[in-house]
Amino acid sequence: MAEASSKRVLVVDDASLVRLYYRDALERAGYQVDEALNGLEALEKLHAAPADLLIVDVNMPQMDGFTFLKVLRRQALPVAAIPALVISTEAGAQDREAARQAGGNFYLVKPVSQETLVEYAAMFCGAAP
Amino acid sequence: MNEFVEQFLIECRELIEQATDDLLTLEGRPDDAERLDGAFRAFHTLKGAAGIVDFDAMGRALHAAEEVLSSLRAGAEPVTPELISDCLTCLDQVVQWLDAMQADGEIPAGADAAAEAVIQRFRRAGPAAVATPRAPAAWRDALIARHPEAAAAIVLRYAPGPDAFLRGQDPLALLAGVPDLRVLEIEDGPAWPPLEALDPFACRLVFLALAGCSAEQARAALGAAPGEVEILALGAAAPEAASGLSATARAVIEAQLLLLENAEAEGLAGRMGSAGGAVANILRWAGRPAAAAGVERALAQSQAAGGPQSLSVAVGRVLAGEAIEDAAPAGPQPAERTPAEAAARTLRVDVERIDALVNLTGELLVAKNALGHAVSQAQGRLDTAALAALLKDQHAVLHRLVDDLQRSVLSIRVLQMRQVFQRFPRLVREMVVTLGKPAHLVTEGDETEADKTIVESLFEPLLHVLRNALDHGVESPAARAAAGKPPAATITLRARRLNDNVIVEVEDDGAGVDLARVRAVAAQRGVASPEALAAMSDPEVVDLVFAAGFSTATQVTSLSGRGVGMDAVRAAAERLGGRVTMESRAGAGATVRFILPFAVLMSRILTVEAGGQLFGIPLEAVLETVRVARGDIKPVGASRAFVLRHRTVPVIDLGQTLGARPDPAATDEANIVVVSAGGHLGGLEVDRLGARLDVMLKPMEGLLSGLAGIAGTTLLGDGRVLLVLDLQELLG
Repeated sequence: MAEASSKRVLVVDDASLVRLYYRDALERAGYQVDEALNGLEALEKLHAAPADLLIVDVNMPQMDGFTFLKVLRRQALPVAAIPALVISTEAGAQDREAARQAGGNFYLVKPVSQETLVEYAAMFCGAAP
Repeated sequence: MNEFVEQFLIECRELIEQATDDLLTLEGRPDDAERLDGAFRAFHTLKGAAGIVDFDAMGRALHAAEEVLSSLRAGAEPVTPELISDCLTCLDQVVQWLDAMQADGEIPAGADAAAEAVIQRFRRAGPAAVATPRAPAAWRDALIARHPEAAAAIVLRYAPGPDAFLRGQDPLALLAGVPDLRVLEIEDGPAWPPLEALDPFACRLVFLALAGCSAEQARAALGAAPGEVEILALGAAAPEAASGLSATARAVIEAQLLLLENAEAEGLAGRMGSAGGAVANILRWAGRPAAAAGVERALAQSQAAGGPQSLSVAVGRVLAGEAIEDAAPAGPQPAERTPAEAAARTLRVDVERIDALVNLTGELLVAKNALGHAVSQAQGRLDTAALAALLKDQHAVLHRLVDDLQRSVLSIRVLQMRQVFQRFPRLVREMVVTLGKPAHLVTEGDETEADKTIVESLFEPLLHVLRNALDHGVESPAARAAAGKPPAATITLRARRLNDNVIVEVEDDGAGVDLARVRAVAAQRGVASPEALAAMSDPEVVDLVFAAGFSTATQVTSLSGRGVGMDAVRAAAERLGGRVTMESRAGAGATVRFILPFAVLMSRILTVEAGGQLFGIPLEAVLETVRVARGDIKPVGASRAFVLRHRTVPVIDLGQTLGARPDPAATDEANIVVVSAGGHLGGLEVDRLGARLDVMLKPMEGLLSGLAGIAGTTLLGDGRVLLVLDLQELLG
C-alpha cells in the first residue's frame, strides 16, 4: 500500500485561502502539495512534474477548470490519466455533468472540510486510510 | 493570529471591495448581468471563506444575501435599490466583523445576533424568502419507521423553495448526487392555496431521503443548494454494501463508470486512464489489492483496444461485489506486462472484416471437399488428362481463395495513419516554442490505411523529419517577412494510398535545402569526394542528406532522446520495405516523401545457397547478381572487395560469416549478390542462386528474437524453414 508521503497533489484554485486550506490539510496528512492559480499554470506544472491527484476549482481566470480538464485528457499518457477531483462552488446538476464531460473523476461542492478532502485524497491516491 | 485568519482577512477585504463595486454599478445599470454574476460570485466565495475559518454567523448572513442575488440572477425578481442596499448592509456588517477579527484574532462575540438582523432584512425583502430553520421533528422518526430495512446512516429533508425551478435548479438531480441514496419520498409542501391562486411554476415539494453516506457527504452533494436542507446523522455507521466498499468509495467508483460512458474519442485514453487508475487506487485504499490489479489489467486491455468496454465491465463487477480476478483470461500471465506491450499484441478489427474472413473460410471448406472429390476420382483410375483438368480447376479456385484470404488477413492488420499523425500537433507546438519559429501543422489523409507495423514504426522517422523541417527548412520570421511569406510556416503531413504503396509526405514552405551548405558539409565530413560532388546534379546533392555520416551521429534530439540522423530515417524506411526521397524547391520549401508498401507481411525474396544452407535475401535490397573471378576479389585490410563499374564493393562470404561449412565444390568464379541496405553497398558471396519467392515473413520469436543478422523466417513449400537475412545487420 502506497504511503501518502510519496504522493503529490496539485491544487488548482485561484483563491489563495482555499489553496492554503487544502495545502494545510494535505501536508498534515503527509502529501506533497503544489499549487497552481489556473488551468494554464497547472498544465505547465504537470509537464514539469506529474502529480498523483489534481484538485481543481471551476471558476478561474485565464483557463477555467473545465477547459483545463478537457485539455489535460488530450495530453499524452501518463499526464492525461491523472485523476481529478473537482471542487466547485456551483451545486447545479448541469455543472456536475459538465465536469464529467470534461473528464473530472469526482465532483464535490464547496465548502469541503479538511477531513473530507483528506479522505478523498487517500482514496484517489490509494494511500492507507 | 493564525495563518488562516490572516489570509482570510486579506481575501475577504478584496472580495468585499469587488462586491461593493459590482453592487454600486448594478444600482445604476440593473440589467448588467456580468456585474450581477460578479457580485454573486464574490458573496459565494466570501461564504466559502467564512466556512473555512468556522465563522458560522458570517456564513449565514452571506448565505441570505447570496440567495437573493441568486434569484435576481435567475430573473425571478427585478434588481431594486432596496435589495442592493440590503446586500451592502450585509457587507458593512461583514467589514465590522473583519475589523474585530483583525484587532483580536478571534471570531467576534455577539455575531449571531448581528447575523440574525441581516437575515431578517432579507426575509422582509421578497419572495426569495430565506428559509427558517425548523426544529428536528417527527418527520424523521416517521420516515425511519416507514423504512426499517434501509439501515441508513443519515436522514435528509430538503425543501427547495417555491422559486427553485425558476432559478434553474433541479432538486431531483441534486438529490441523485447524494452517495448511496436508499429511500426517497416526495411530500407536498405547505397547505395548498385555492386553485386560482396557485402558481404552477412554483416548487411546492419537500423531499425526504434516507442514505448510507455521511452527513458531510450529503451536504457536499447538496452543497449550496438554495432552500432548506436538514441532514441528521443516525449515529451507527452504514453497513457496507455487497461490494464490501464504503458508501463514499462506491459513490466515487460509480462516478468513474459514468465517466467511461463518455464515448468521445478525444481525451478517451486520458479519461480511461484516470478512471481506471482511480478505481484501482480506491480498491487498494480499501485493502483489496487483488481487485485493484484486476482493474488495472482491464484498463490495459481497454487502452489497447481503444475502447472502455473491458474497464467498464470490470468496474461494474467491483460494484456488484463479484470477483474481478476472473476477468483476466485464464492461464499463466507474464506478471510484468506493461500496457504498451499489451497494445502491441491486440488489435481492433471491424466486424465487416471478420465477416469477410468467415465467408472465405466457408468457401475454402467447399474447395477442400472438391479436392477430396478429385482424390476419389484419381483412386477410381480416371485418366491422367481428365485428372489434370480437374486438378487445374481446383487449383484455380484455391488460388483465388488463398489470395482473397491473404488480402483479408492483411486488411485486419491495417491501421489508420491517424494513429501516428495525431501525436504530432502537440509535439510540433512544443518544437515551435523551443525553436522560436512560428509554424502550424496541417495533416491530410489521416484516414489512409497501412499495415499496423508501418503505422507504428513511422513515428520516430516522421518526428525527425518534422524537426528537421522546422530546424533547417523553415526560416526565421524576419527572413520569411523579407521573402514575402506569412510569418508562420505551414508544415503539411500528408498520407495517401497509391496502388500497393502508401505515400507519406512532410512538406514545408521554408527556404528549401541549402545546396551550397550540403555540398560543404558533405565535403567536410568526407561523405563524397570533391570531384564526385562537382559532378552531382542538384537532386543528387539533396539526396546526400540521407547519406550515412552526413548528420553528426552524436546529435541528440530532446524529443526522441536518441541520436538520429536522416540516414537513420532512410534506414527505417528501408527496414519497412520502402524508401524515402527528398525534393527541394529553392526558396519555396522541401518535401520528404516516404514510399512504403501497403503491407509488410509479404516479402519478395531471392533464395541463395551458402555453406550448404538455404537463405533468403529481401529482393528489394538486391541490385544485381554478378559472377566475379576469384582473382578479382582483393583483400582490403581485414576484409575483401572487388571493383564493379568503378565502384569498390566489399564482399562478405555468407557461408563463412554465418558459420556454415565451406562449400567443397568451389569454382573459379564467385557468385556475388550485390545488395544495398541502410545506405551501404555490399556483395554477398554465395554458392548458388535460387528462386525468387513471395513469402510471409515471420519475425523471430522468443529466445531467437535477439539473433543478429536474421530478419525472420518463412516456411518453404517442402516444409523446410528458410532464414531471411537482415542485410542492415550484416552490412552495418
